[in-house]
Amino acid sequence: MLDRSLVHEVLQAARRRGGSFAEVFVEESTNTTIRLDDGKVEELTTGLDRGAGVRVAHGTSYGYAYSNRLDRDALLEAAEAASAALRDGEGGDVVDLRTLEGPDTNRVQRAAASVPAADKVAWLRELDDVARSFSPEVIQVVGVYGDSLQRRLIAASDGRWVEEARPRIRLVAQVVAKRGDNIQTGFHGPAACAGVEFVDEHTPAATATVAAKRAVTMLDSIPAPAGEMTVVLAPGMGGVLFHEAVGHPLESDAIDKEASVYAGLVGQRCGSELLNGVDDATIPNGWGSFTFDDEGEPAQNTVLFTDGVLQGFLYDRLRADKEGVTSTGNGRRQSYAFPPVPRMTNTNILNGSSKPGDILDATEQGVWVTSLGGGQVNPATGDFVFGVSEGFLIENGQVGAPVRGANLIGRAIEVMSAIDAIADDFGTWEGVCGKDGQNAPVGSGSPTLRISKITLGGTGA
Amino acid sequence: MPDLGDLVRAAVEAAGDGEAVEAYAQESRQTEASALRGEVEGLTFAESRGLGVRLIRDGRLGYAFAADPTVDEVRAAVVKARENATLAEPDEFNVLPDAAEVTALPELFDAASADVPTADKVQMALDLESRLVSSDPRVTKIDLAQVGDAVTRVAIASTAGVDAEYARTDAWCVAVALAVEGDETQTGFSYRIARALADVGPDDIADEAITRAVDMLGAVKPPTAKVPVILDQFAAMSFLGVLAGALNAESVLKGRSLFASMVGQQVGSDLFTLVDDGTILQGPGACPFDDEGVPSGRTELFTRGTLNGFLHDTYTAARTGDGQASTGNAKRGSYKGAPGVGTSNFYLDAGETSFDELLHRADGGVLIQDVSGVHSGANPISGEFSVGATGLRIAGGALGEPLREMTIASTLPEMLAGITGVGDDLRFFSSVGTPSILIGEMTLAGI
Repeated sequence: MLDRSLVHEVLQAARRRGGSFAEVFVEESTNTTIRLDDGKVEELTTGLDRGAGVRVAHGTSYGYAYSNRLDRDALLEAAEAASAALRDGEGGDVVDLRTLEGPDTNRVQRAAASVPAADKVAWLRELDDVARSFSPEVIQVVGVYGDSLQRRLIAASDGRWVEEARPRIRLVAQVVAKRGDNIQTGFHGPAACAGVEFVDEHTPAATATVAAKRAVTMLDSIPAPAGEMTVVLAPGMGGVLFHEAVGHPLESDAIDKEASVYAGLVGQRCGSELLNGVDDATIPNGWGSFTFDDEGEPAQNTVLFTDGVLQGFLYDRLRADKEGVTSTGNGRRQSYAFPPVPRMTNTNILNGSSKPGDILDATEQGVWVTSLGGGQVNPATGDFVFGVSEGFLIENGQVGAPVRGANLIGRAIEVMSAIDAIADDFGTWEGVCGKDGQNAPVGSGSPTLRISKITLGGTGA
Repeated sequence: MPDLGDLVRAAVEAAGDGEAVEAYAQESRQTEASALRGEVEGLTFAESRGLGVRLIRDGRLGYAFAADPTVDEVRAAVVKARENATLAEPDEFNVLPDAAEVTALPELFDAASADVPTADKVQMALDLESRLVSSDPRVTKIDLAQVGDAVTRVAIASTAGVDAEYARTDAWCVAVALAVEGDETQTGFSYRIARALADVGPDDIADEAITRAVDMLGAVKPPTAKVPVILDQFAAMSFLGVLAGALNAESVLKGRSLFASMVGQQVGSDLFTLVDDGTILQGPGACPFDDEGVPSGRTELFTRGTLNGFLHDTYTAARTGDGQASTGNAKRGSYKGAPGVGTSNFYLDAGETSFDELLHRADGGVLIQDVSGVHSGANPISGEFSVGATGLRIAGGALGEPLREMTIASTLPEMLAGITGVGDDLRFFSSVGTPSILIGEMTLAGI
């Protein structure tokens, strides 16, 4: 994307006041978004985005400047601005830039760019047809198709030069069902870092059916109960809880600021002994996968919990350097417009040995949660919340009426310690995580698991 | 670098016969400084420019954008938008607004703020952090102390005769304090957005963040009960965001709003008057015209509890028919997308009740200071919500025991009808403003 000697010159300029390192991040991305709403293809947008950011680090302090111009003047101006954050110091070196190679984590069989837009439009029409024919109670459908290819270059003063192209693809169905005055919604949005072969497996029809079934099922729902109870989480959903309640407080910026309930607890039991969890950026074609992170560190599978004992944190370069450890490859950024922050990739609770059917059978009373709408955590207190978008009452081991209008709320360590069964039916959920004003695609995965006691915030008895 | 106005006009000149073309260009320069442990934590400079083209041909809409384009790249974006339009379905309501007279709002650009040197912004962030960690012995750490500002210019031109530009300045400061006692940590959050750096008042924001953190120390999980609830301005603001989605005419036209069939009905209590007004200068959402060039105006969505109508852009107004005009509420996230309906300054009209009086009237209830999980726990289509909350118990007209790990749940219509008091303390955060609100009864779930 850029000439090596120019990048070297920019890095040199960025190190005029020294600092621990300087880094250039360059991006060129193309994307296609097609939105079908109200039975019509409303909008087809294509775009080209590009830009470069220069970062100069000094301990955990940094200066960052970006521009969406890629000419020499603009890059040197950014280098000048970024280095202005540092106090005057002696200039630093730039090691000769050498290309680092890694495995092809996100292999593409058929590139999205090779498929005509008309075919992608046809997928959305099929999604719309299938959702509407699912039930006469389906009154509205939104279908979104998106693909992007982000080419990135990361070069730093320690000589690293990393180039990677990240393909992303997503299909989303949002369905509204209505009976009398009762309106309910269903959502399904599978995604991957892959080419259009993804659609062979996650077909428009299957995506539409999951969302339509959710919306129609929820028409029969009763208000969720309020108070503490046993909750069984379907595959993938425990991963969402793990991401929100545990993953964020394990990110090293929260640890560094002592704004995390897990600070100082490595080596200690902070969860049920059934709990084994990882953050794994190496999963082929995973929604949060890559070959190198956005600081040019190789992707890793980082163990977070072994038998409930906390093993470590998620590091970017700044925090790793401060602690004298190696980065875990968790420095990520939304685009060239943002400096990297430590954050999750694919965060998973690993399979246990129970059977999902046995877990439900053995639950006398509680709620079975089959879809979550996302959540939020306060890493410093560990207090988290997340919305139940599809759930069912459990009575004497039997799945009963669907429930609506509920949020799960709890505290990270208590809830992870209250896991009393983990099954062997691992599944994933793909989401978009927001942190520090930046969005990043993240995978969450888990098998069916049970929490013996957690607060459900409904309005019912 | 080509002038923004020249870029948008180049797009319009590239329109073919029978095509309606609109170009929207934006450039911004943003600085953000944060402080930690007496040092600069981060200093970010951002400069961006870009342009988006909306093209309508035979009722079919296509969109394309380009970052920092040359005039040739603008013409290429028009070609791309034309290609994209061929794949979209025709919709007779895809029209561009005609040019209308715009009242300029020169006050939106504060020249002095635009010229503040970077070093001064860094010092503001350092001062903010210093005040956060030196005012109360229980607060010696922070999660965030940040000061930022942006200078933005926008230009729009279209084949329908729109040709308008404006400039604005925005400034903000954000503080998150950590209060520690024993092995318990609590957080307190505050922020302010203003026109100029001189008006973000970092001292007040620091003090408020400290108070909100310290007040939560010793928090307990309450028993499940139905109680009177006061939503403070922070908490009430979160709910207004959900309401905004349900009052968007696009949601209404597409069967996604619970309010669709309620126009003319008394939905809320007679204390509830809700307004969107892009001309109020003290609101951060002020702008002379919306993102398709329609002049900003005032829309009273609810008057004393009665629903009057919805927020419209040109598309939803045309589709609604019946003389409906755009309310000047076309908004876009950036030049990368076509406009949709959004809010400008969206606020709940202040009442006449003092906060102390609200406390007296909510005896035995709870003051909610923060809600979480609103994006997942509140459904603007069904109107149902269940959200996480923290706050303080109210006893004998005073604030008492802090409460955590609870949820509040209800439906939007029940909540609006249940408003029994509205404070006189209207405050704008971002483009949403609200006073404190007393609600007669809500379900609070805890133990």
